[in-house]
This record gives sequence, structure tokens and C-alpha cells, in this order.
Amino acid sequence: MNQPVLGLFPHVDSMVEAAVGLKDTGYTVTVFSPIPLGDALDPIVVRKNYIRYFALFGAFIGLFFGIILTLGTAALYVLPRGGLPIWPITPTLLLTYESIILFGVIWTLIGFFIVARKPNFGKQIYDPKVAIDSFGLLVEDIREDKIEEVEQLLKSFGADEVNRVEKS
Amino acid sequence: MDNISYKEVNEDVVRTMTKTGWKYWVALILCAGLAVALWGVPWGYQIYVGQGVTGLNTPTFWGIYLANFVFWIGISHSGTLLSAILFITATPWRRSIYRSAEAITFFSVLTAAIFIFVHMGRPWNFYWTMPYFTTRQLWVNFTSPIMFDVFAISTYMTSSVIFLYFGSIPDLAAVRDRVTGWRKPVYTYLSLGWRGTDAEWHWLSKSYTFFAVFIIPLAVSVHSIVSWDFALSMVPGLNKTIFAPYFVVGAIFSGTAAIVTLMVCFRKAMKVEKYITLMHFDKLCMLLLVMSLLWSYINVVEVFSGWFANTSAENETLRYRMFLAPHSYMFWLMILTNSILPLLFIFRRLRTSIFVCVVVSIGINVGMWIERYLIVATSLPRKFLPNMWHDYIPSLLEISVTVGSFFFFAMLFLIFVKVWPSISIYEVKEDIGFPMRKGFKRH
Repeated sequence: MNQPVLGLFPHVDSMVEAAVGLKDTGYTVTVFSPIPLGDALDPIVVRKNYIRYFALFGAFIGLFFGIILTLGTAALYVLPRGGLPIWPITPTLLLTYESIILFGVIWTLIGFFIVARKPNFGKQIYDPKVAIDSFGLLVEDIREDKIEEVEQLLKSFGADEVNRVEKS
Repeated sequence: MDNISYKEVNEDVVRTMTKTGWKYWVALILCAGLAVALWGVPWGYQIYVGQGVTGLNTPTFWGIYLANFVFWIGISHSGTLLSAILFITATPWRRSIYRSAEAITFFSVLTAAIFIFVHMGRPWNFYWTMPYFTTRQLWVNFTSPIMFDVFAISTYMTSSVIFLYFGSIPDLAAVRDRVTGWRKPVYTYLSLGWRGTDAEWHWLSKSYTFFAVFIIPLAVSVHSIVSWDFALSMVPGLNKTIFAPYFVVGAIFSGTAAIVTLMVCFRKAMKVEKYITLMHFDKLCMLLLVMSLLWSYINVVEVFSGWFANTSAENETLRYRMFLAPHSYMFWLMILTNSILPLLFIFRRLRTSIFVCVVVSIGINVGMWIERYLIVATSLPRKFLPNMWHDYIPSLLEISVTVGSFFFFAMLFLIFVKVWPSISIYEVKEDIGFPMRKGFKRH
């Protein structure tokens, strides 16, 4: 049986210690917090930054879009302007600059949606206290005979509350 | 913020959204009514009758509407650019004020964009500036600086909205957990199912950093491009290479002053003095002082280089702007409000005086509006041929539309503070620090 357990801690350091202890024992842990904990979570998990690939991809798309929009369509719709070049350099650079940024921003947003799996309106394990002043530690993949042991462990590290939770 | 608890932050911010007194409704109805009466109705009349009701005439076909456009774009530089720069440089005092400042950006860009429609005369022809495939074989002229504007401003508006919304997702989730009724489903959808897991925070902070990095050069480019609407022309008084930095500096200057004015009103009305403290005004006023000095330097350079060039057209433009009726008094008023009054901020005691902050910040925005007005109204009436010279005086209708735009902006901001967490909950908590066994630890 897979019965997740959620411990709510009032302090960051006690929650991190509990997470390290549980992780070393082989459990999968998820941290919930009302603020970004940044480097404080390094002992638990170090993540790569995939967002940069999306940002770079968006910037390249923007580069091609800007060039095609200005130079490409200028070739398609020739607009003679008294001896001025059909393919003007300055506007091409300007509009390409803007479209690089626009597509970079849009693809960064798309990247966030993909890697963070948002939006997600389905059933999820969540306790509103973690949006206020509690730091949650969710332990999953616990064997039935180990649930009480995990609960005791969480309490011993200083959890205020330990609950058996389900997706809601 | 040593005496504030995490719980208190949630309660206070949600309270600003859910508890509404009668004074709020009076202010909102007043602003909405005046926006319609002073802006909507005159604009409708102008569309019906035509541009003849304005003061625009040969040789001045750009008037107060475009001055307003530049002014509001300038105000927009307060929020997103300032927020992005302060985020990248990890400046802690940003946290309490940036959300409202970013909202100022969005609303002022919106107001500015509407002024383009007002100026056009025939707003229904706006689609002519959009590149789309047409059987008429017509295509937009990308060499026109007006087209640069279309792309720059639409990019800036899109990016600013994404930046504002994205940074608010955790707070929208916090609001979702505390509200009932119609608000519950709205904030449930807006928060995208946010739970505050370590993975979500990680991706949010990485993405937010990229947004900030993209937005800083974007904001600089937007006001540079707005300046090129003028500087790429051949008109004396407009054809200046210094216009791009001049506009960018002026925009940050006026935008920061707008933040100061609005934050004073906001903290008082919403009773959030413990989050927006005198320290914030101290820092903002220091920034105003720096921008004032930069702005003054660029003004001196502009006047000096024009005078030193000693061409008849340039000399006449300067003489007309600085010494002749009907605009010279505005020029010297601008110097007073933008170069002299901000010098008061040399003294810390005055930087932390709310009264002085309000007077000087309003003064700066009056001066910055005058600056934009003078750029248009003293250059176009004095071009190369004296027989074409003609003063531009805005009509009452144009002045009414201008005044109305301020009420429109105020109305949008009043709506914002009731539908959006206007102080960042999670970043204020970061300011308080991590709760550890031995007390709070700031990072």
C-alpha cells in the first residue's frame, strides 16, 4: 500500500534535517514551503536548469521570425521608396531584437508550464498551512508496516503535525 | 520587519483585497465617472466631428496626445524595469513595492497605447499597422519608426503582463486558500494548481530570472524607440542623437516618482505602513536624486550642443522653448521641479518625510509631462521656413482628454488593489527570513 504521510514543521532547519534523514533511508520526499528555500535545499535535491534551453530556443525562434518578417516579406511585397534599399538593415535589426525578446519570454513561460507541469487542476496532495507558515515534508512510497516508523521519525525531528494524507 | 509573522502577512494582504470601505467605492466611482466624462465623451465627440476640434494644424500635426503617449510610456518604466533590475541585483527593499510598481507599468502602457488611438483620428484604421497577408498587396512600411513602436510596445506590454502574472502565482494560491464565494474559483484557476513544492519554487525562480534578464534590455529599447519617433526626423529640436538615453533616463525618473506618489496613497489607504516603510521612501528618493542629476546633465548637454552648433533653426528652437511665450514659463517650471526640487533629497531627513516625498514626486511628474509636451509643442511650430511658423495651443477638448487619462489610470489601479495581491506575500516573508530553531535567518 502507498500511504503518503505529510509532516508540518515550524522551522526550516528541522524540516531539512528530517528530509535528509528520510532520503538517506530510501524514501521519496517532497518539500512544501511558503517561500522559496533556494540553497537551503541543496542537501536534499540539486536540480538542473532546463528553463535556459527553452529561453534559448525562444530567442532563436524570435531571431528567425524577425528576419523572415522584415526581410522575407519585404521581398514578397516590394515597396519602392525612391532609391532606398528594399531590404533595410536598421529596421530589420530593431524588429528582430524585439522579436527575440518576445519569443524568449513566451518560450520561457511555456518551458515553465512544461517542466513544472502547470496548470494542474487535478487531485493533488496539499495542505493550505504550507502557504502560510508551515514547512511540509511529504513522504511517499512507504510500506504499510513502516508508516508509524516514518511518523515517529517526523515527530522526532520536530514536526508539529503529522497526517496521513490523500489527494484532494 | 522583525515583528511581523508569516501568518500576519497572509492576513494583511488578503485583507487589502477583501475588506472594502465606502471611501474606496466613492474613489472608484469618482475616478470611473471622471474618466468617462473627461476622456471617453470628448474622445467620442472628436471621433464624430473629426480632428478639427483639436488644436492640431499646420505645421503641428503632433500635439498633446503624443506628449501624453510618451509621458505614460515613461511612467511604465517604473515598474517592470525597476523590478527587474532590483531583482537581478538582489536588492531586498524591492520586495514590498515591486508588485504594485509592475501593475503601474501595465496600466500606464495601456493608457499610452490608447492615446495612439486617440491621436489617430480614425482609430478603426489601426489594423493598417498590422502586418498580415492581404489581397490588396499592401504591406506595412518597416522603415517607419511608428512601426518600430508597434512592435516595441506590444512586446513590452506582453512581457510586462507575463512578468506581473508569473511573479504573482504563489500569492494567488495563498489568496485561493483564504477566500470564499466567487473569488475561490477565480483564484483557483489563476494559481494554476500551485502547491509550493520545492520543484515548483525551483522552476519559478529560474524562469523569473530569465524574464528579468529579457525585460531589462527590452525596457531600454522601448523608450529608445519611442525617442526615435522624434529623433529620426529632420526637425530642429527633435533631431538629436542624445534623445534615446534622454528618454530612458526621463522615463525611469518619472516612473520612480510615480511609484513614490502612489505608494504614499496606497500605504495610507490600505493601512500597510509596516510593509512599505520610510526606508523604502529613503531608497526611492535616493534613486530620484540620481536620476534628477542625470536628467539635468542631459538637458545641459542638449541645450549646450544646440547653442554651440549655432545654426539658425536650432537657435530659434532653443530661443522659442526657453525665452518666448507661450511656452517659456513651462520650461523654467520644468527646471525647477526636475532639477532643483529633487536636490532636497540630498538630506536624509527630507527623504524620509512623507510630505516632502509627495510634493517633490508630484512636482517631478508635472515637470516630466511638461518636458514631453515641450518636445512636441516647441519643435514642430518652428521648422526651417519662418512663413510656416505657427504656435500650437491645445484645445479644451485635448486638455480634457489629458486630465481624463489620469482618472482612467487611477481607476485601473483602484481595481487592481482589490483583485490582485498588491504586496508580494512570499517575498515579504523572504524579507522576514527563514524561521529556524534559533530565530529568523535572513538570506
